[in-house]
Amino acid sequence: MTQFWKSGNPFVWLTGAALAASVLMIVGLVLLILFKGLSQFWPSTLAELHLQDGSKVMGEIWDREEIPDAEPGADNASQYRLRLKVANRDLYSLDFRWIDESDIQQRLSPPPAIAIERQEWGNFYGYFVGLKKDGETVAADLVDGWPTIEASLDEMRKLRERIKEIEKSDIGDINHDLERLRLGLRKITLASDTTTAETRQLIADKRAQMADLQAEYLDKEKALADFYGSSRKIVLSMVSVDGHTIDIPVYDIVRIWKPNELSVFGKCGIYLDKLWEFVTGEPRESNTEGGIFPAIFGTVMLVIIMSIAVVPLGVLAAVYLREYARQGVWVRAIRIAVNNLAGVPSIVYGVFGLGFFIYGLGGTLDQLFFSEALPTPTFGTGGIFWASLTLALLTVPVVIVATEEGLAAVPREIREGSLALSATKFETLWRVVLPSAMPGILTGLILAVARAAGEVAPLMITGVVKLAPALPLDGTFPFLHLERKFMHLGFHIYDVGFQSPNVEAAIPMVYSTTLLLLVIVVFLNLFAIYVRNRLREKLAYSAF
Amino acid sequence: MLKNTFVKKTGFAFALAAMVFSVLPAGDLFAGDKVKVDQKITVYKKVSGVSGSLNSIGSDTMNNLMTLWGEGFAKYYPNVRLQVEGKGSSTAPPALIAGTSQFGPMSRKMKDKEIDEFEKAFGYKPTAMGTALDALAVYVHKDNPIESLSLQQVDAIFSKTRAGGLNDDIATWGDLGVKGVWTGRRISLYGRNSASGTYGYFKKHALFKGDYKDTVKEQPGSASVVQGVTKDNAGIGYSGIGYITSGVRAVPLSKKADGSAYSVDMANVMTGQYPLARFLYLYVNKEPDQPLQPLVREFLKFIFSQEGQHVVVKDGYLPLPYEVVQKELNKLEAGTY
Repeated sequence: MTQFWKSGNPFVWLTGAALAASVLMIVGLVLLILFKGLSQFWPSTLAELHLQDGSKVMGEIWDREEIPDAEPGADNASQYRLRLKVANRDLYSLDFRWIDESDIQQRLSPPPAIAIERQEWGNFYGYFVGLKKDGETVAADLVDGWPTIEASLDEMRKLRERIKEIEKSDIGDINHDLERLRLGLRKITLASDTTTAETRQLIADKRAQMADLQAEYLDKEKALADFYGSSRKIVLSMVSVDGHTIDIPVYDIVRIWKPNELSVFGKCGIYLDKLWEFVTGEPRESNTEGGIFPAIFGTVMLVIIMSIAVVPLGVLAAVYLREYARQGVWVRAIRIAVNNLAGVPSIVYGVFGLGFFIYGLGGTLDQLFFSEALPTPTFGTGGIFWASLTLALLTVPVVIVATEEGLAAVPREIREGSLALSATKFETLWRVVLPSAMPGILTGLILAVARAAGEVAPLMITGVVKLAPALPLDGTFPFLHLERKFMHLGFHIYDVGFQSPNVEAAIPMVYSTTLLLLVIVVFLNLFAIYVRNRLREKLAYSAF
Repeated sequence: MLKNTFVKKTGFAFALAAMVFSVLPAGDLFAGDKVKVDQKITVYKKVSGVSGSLNSIGSDTMNNLMTLWGEGFAKYYPNVRLQVEGKGSSTAPPALIAGTSQFGPMSRKMKDKEIDEFEKAFGYKPTAMGTALDALAVYVHKDNPIESLSLQQVDAIFSKTRAGGLNDDIATWGDLGVKGVWTGRRISLYGRNSASGTYGYFKKHALFKGDYKDTVKEQPGSASVVQGVTKDNAGIGYSGIGYITSGVRAVPLSKKADGSAYSVDMANVMTGQYPLARFLYLYVNKEPDQPLQPLVREFLKFIFSQEGQHVVVKDGYLPLPYEVVQKELNKLEAGTY
């Protein structure tokens, strides 16, 4: 027995089991997220249920559970109930309904059943009545009318794009110019004496420009009104299974499909279409539907700005600590402080960012450069720049520690060789030591990125919002808007999961978003690892 | 609360609304009948020259409402930007005072202390706009057979001080008279975190200003209270009626232990019989005798339009009656308060 303990085998088993348990948990979690996140886009069949009381319901079956504490059925079997996604939120208020299996008389999956995803109110499940153009029915039969429906859907899609273009770029530019002129005007009246002829002329000029823009805007608006008018002209008449007739403007339809007639191939098409919309689309219905592109964009941009800020800061600090500072009590104390900094709760950094960056620096910036916009703050409120800097502070210890490790790993002989060839200390550092320590620095960056991408708490008080109407990077001058608030995948998960009113319908969205966040973190890391490996190869060559 | 302030201020309006709604069948509104927006409320009319960006910081209950209003408003003014931050009602007054936001959505009224601080900074009081009606529901698991609760019982369930007057603590479902397997089940409590206006409102009106039990599981959002109760069959929690799902049931409540209980529907909220109804407020910084900034004014007009009130319905809350809308719109005029 003693021999058995001495052999070390139990320890091997223990370590192996610990590893297996960790791997199992991670794989289990990833699989759960994968399954839940990817299955929500699958167009399942629509079931029509005829209940004992004569009523009918239609929907997708999402769940089946045993009814607890129920009287057992005839053959002593347990009773079950179904959770049905009945959709039609505008008719029933709730998206889901529980139905006891004992209440079901008949279960059908009728081929003509139609599912429609709408811009508002979520999905509609029901039957086709007719397609009306300007009040006249142009298609009354589903089979013959289907091409007409698809054609009008295409037409409306094009109309939507045109409207979006006018709204976003044309009117957007006009509004932006107007705002700039308004602020310029205010600046003039604030700064200079308005009685001089010169300033009066300036003011009059600006006013005239504003009037021109206003006229241009009215033109665009008229065009827009026409477009909106024609967007209501084609409507799809539908009837729900319990007999409510409803007219849905084709313009409001995102997609339409016949779930019970679709082949597997057709379903795959719908699936990919939905997945594509999720990744590239804008959110709808206060983030519970549509896509999450702005959140992806915000997350990636946040991480990039953070990297730009954290690497120089961390690397310079580490270089001083390792190369120049006299090693002693002070440096040891600083090192301990840096390590401890890594353990400070992230919300503390958030509070610091709010107090120092936003109210302190941002408030001062506003006073100095954006006084014409006050009291509306420009930089004195949360934004992507301050959030990135806060995250940079949060992750700087990681970069310092990793860089120091990298610097320490550079062999003494290489430095001495360089110095012996009469290079100065700076030249040695710049040409020899830092390039060799590059993989270490990049490791630090990888760790920093991984930490920053998953961080939510400090962002919540430094500028993340539920819905940011504009991206921090766009086509209007000066293109990069560092003061803008932004959306973030981590916060999106928190918000949709904990705060959306229609949480039942939104939960699958949480899984999909989590999956996407995981994918992005993995992707960012893979990229950094690739760069590091390239560098290592290069260094290996240059060493010989 | 609602009845008191509401009936006092708009007595006639309310009586009228009550009359209108008492004619409607008193079915369970959230199970099928749709709430309708008063047709007399005017449709929003677009004006020109509105642009810029708006910030809203405050209640998380109203987070979605603000977002949806923002989306609706953007249809009229494509390049108006509304940024919504919702971390709890208590975050609204500091942001309004600091000028970092134009709108402070709050699911409760401002406290005197908050109003004082605002007045100290600007020399006048903030303007409160009642934008929608919300009923705070007490949710139980969908299988829970409990028929109704009185506020005193709710107090004894959630509070350790029992300021409502009941002598004995209520810890199990059996204490509430639920039979069968439920008798021995311990009640599991779900609530909100203390920054939330819902927390404050519930404490004041359902707990009679008493203190919460330490066993209340404080959740970061209203939806997670509902999720908690969905997954926990002995659970009970409180949240706005807009957060209801098919997994939970809103229990009818009565004001007094022996009074009759009323379910959460529009008719009962309008007549003030449902005890936990409240306004959802939007606070703005309006200087007396000065017109509001056009952008802010138009946004508020949108909220009090047919479209804006439709959004309220879409988000699961209750729209305002016509008379209240008129009263709120009057506040927007310069010189009135």
